Amino acid sequence: MSHLVTVAAIAAFAFAVSAALARPLPATAPQAAPFFGGGSAETHAWQRYHFRAYTMTLVFIAFEMEMMFMYPWAVVFVAEGGKAMAEMGMFLGILAIGLLYGWREGVFRWQ
Amino acid sequence: MTPLVLALPVALLAGAWLGAWLDRLVPVLWGRPAQGPFGPLRDGAALLARPTATTEAPDRLTRWLAPGTYLALAAVGLSVIPMAPGLAPLDSSVGIVVWGACEALTVIAVFLHGWSPNAPFPLIGAYRYVAIGLPVMLPSMFVLIAAALPAESLSLVQVVEAQREVWNVLRQPMGLPLFLLVGLTLTLRGPFDFADGADIAGGTSGQESGPGRALWQLARLTMLTAFSAMAATAFLGGPLGPGLPGPAWLALKTAAVMAVTVGLGHTVARTTPSQMLHPLWVGALPLSFLHLALAGWVAL
Amino acid sequence: MAVRLFHRMAARSAPAVFVCIGPRMQALVEGLFARAQSRRMESPAGAAILLVAGDIPRRAAVALDRIHDQIPPPRETVHWDGCDDPMTELLAAWARLMAGESGEPDRLPDDPPNPWKGHGDHGQGGEGMMGGVPYGRPMAMTGEDPRDGLKLDAYTMRVGPFAPMLPPGLVLELTLQGDLIASARVTEAPFPQPEDANAPRACAARLLRLLGLGPQADRLLRGTAPRSLNAVRALPVGLGAAGTGGDARTRLRGWLEGKPAEGPPPDIPRLLEGREWHEAVVLLNSWPPDTIRQAAEAAR
Repeated sequence: MSHLVTVAAIAAFAFAVSAALARPLPATAPQAAPFFGGGSAETHAWQRYHFRAYTMTLVFIAFEMEMMFMYPWAVVFVAEGGKAMAEMGMFLGILAIGLLYGWREGVFRWQ
Repeated sequence: MTPLVLALPVALLAGAWLGAWLDRLVPVLWGRPAQGPFGPLRDGAALLARPTATTEAPDRLTRWLAPGTYLALAAVGLSVIPMAPGLAPLDSSVGIVVWGACEALTVIAVFLHGWSPNAPFPLIGAYRYVAIGLPVMLPSMFVLIAAALPAESLSLVQVVEAQREVWNVLRQPMGLPLFLLVGLTLTLRGPFDFADGADIAGGTSGQESGPGRALWQLARLTMLTAFSAMAATAFLGGPLGPGLPGPAWLALKTAAVMAVTVGLGHTVARTTPSQMLHPLWVGALPLSFLHLALAGWVAL
Repeated sequence: MAVRLFHRMAARSAPAVFVCIGPRMQALVEGLFARAQSRRMESPAGAAILLVAGDIPRRAAVALDRIHDQIPPPRETVHWDGCDDPMTELLAAWARLMAGESGEPDRLPDDPPNPWKGHGDHGQGGEGMMGGVPYGRPMAMTGEDPRDGLKLDAYTMRVGPFAPMLPPGLVLELTLQGDLIASARVTEAPFPQPEDANAPRACAARLLRLLGLGPQADRLLRGTAPRSLNAVRALPVGLGAAGTGGDARTRLRGWLEGKPAEGPPPDIPRLLEGREWHEAVVLLNSWPPDTIRQAAEAAR
């Protein structure tokens, strides 16, 4: 509990610093226009943006979930010895096959 | 809450100043005139003397939320690191998990920073950083879990204790180089600065001026401090060392890691994001598997 | 007292300058910032002083005014014809601005880019999610994607003539989908530059700066070879391959060895279409400015 309070206090302090410094002044229309090296745009920049690496993010989620199992595993690793090693080896092996499949399908390209 | 928490702002500010100075010192190797220790303070004062610009219909909330989050993540990340043997501002039994969360959320802070001004170059920087930042977070976690294996604990205090005889950098030689990739990404530097690059006119901070810009730079430098302290703790034995008191050793090791990170940022060229994505997945990630297996084998 | 000290420190920082480069001035400006103690900013938001180098042709006058207004006030303009050293004037302008002088007013009228129209609080109303002119600018609409046929928003903009990552004078009308260039059109060719802008060293320095190696680029401009681990290898193999002239990588390697680039001018629209932004910018800088000027004249 006291840890949570500490983290909250640290974060609150950081946000207070941020709010104190990032205080934009009002600006005229030409000042506020986005920078294009002298050019201009027709529409707002916020858009349904085509994120080229989206297929890769799915593989990322698989690995990120796997981290969740690795934390407790790291604590008992030395106590469990070879058994823990073999189990995680199998798990990572399966994930590595997924990685190879993703590679073959070309998900790690900007497409 | 230990009173050590009050040392955090001091440590972060000192680290930010040192990082900014190193940033101005390293180009001396390439013939730039040297700047004294007041260089960063002068540049900071110049930024604070300017107004904070605004953009057309910006997202006002994320405008301050993004740098605030970045700063908060750096501060929380630093808080779990023991400053003397057995003594951390936030003595968490799951320090590595806390740091991992801070690391991964950095991607969101940088994205929001690029999102907020409603301008195309910052937006391109934001999306591009997400694409590179996500795969970099994976090797980082493997590397940190490998560092936790000999300690049989996720507490950084225990990770330090486990290095009394031999530092992790010797037991797990691939760990620090892989972790440096993470540091370059977390602090938007050199080869991994896909958010604020020159090809997008400064990217996510291209529309920033004055105190707003100073804030973002400060957040970047505090993250550099937190990262360097983490690398020093996980691989170089943190506050352990003969003669000097613990905090002094930690500060020295942190400064060393910081110098290496800044140096790499100035020496390694950035490739195109499309060419970067591939080696991260099929190079760095399998390497970190191998690293974990080797570290496990050594720990047994 | 503290306030005076703060202003004195700010004034001793290096002037933050945004440069608009006119005809015949490119190499002079690049040389100036490689030697001088002033910072060439990547965007006007980060600058306080506008340096107008050379006589800006009439066709770029509005663009110049736009850049001038995008520098947050207080701001000053310094003109440089390339004869004497502009540093004294830059330093004097910087000292005035840091002492709190009010600087120059906007040059363009304070009107939104389009009149607001549509329904709702922000003028967002139209047909469903589309249409309307919120905050004086319409929202992006969908278009065909050149790579995988997804119908996502297309974003049309004109970059240049003073975009720091493009040859000065070049104006491109680009339609982006995400960070990918869906279509490109050359509206204005770069300004003519004398031979010194095409010197191998100057060309290599421009590419190095784009790859995140600013101090090394300056070192190269001052006449010493850069020290980078991977500057040449950072460019993907085959990017910008042009017959006998080789690809961008061969051209950079040649430039670093002091050999001028050969090969015919590229077809700019065809070169850029389907490219990711970083690649596109690297490509345009992988030919000497004169070759790009010929290509742009042909494509206009």
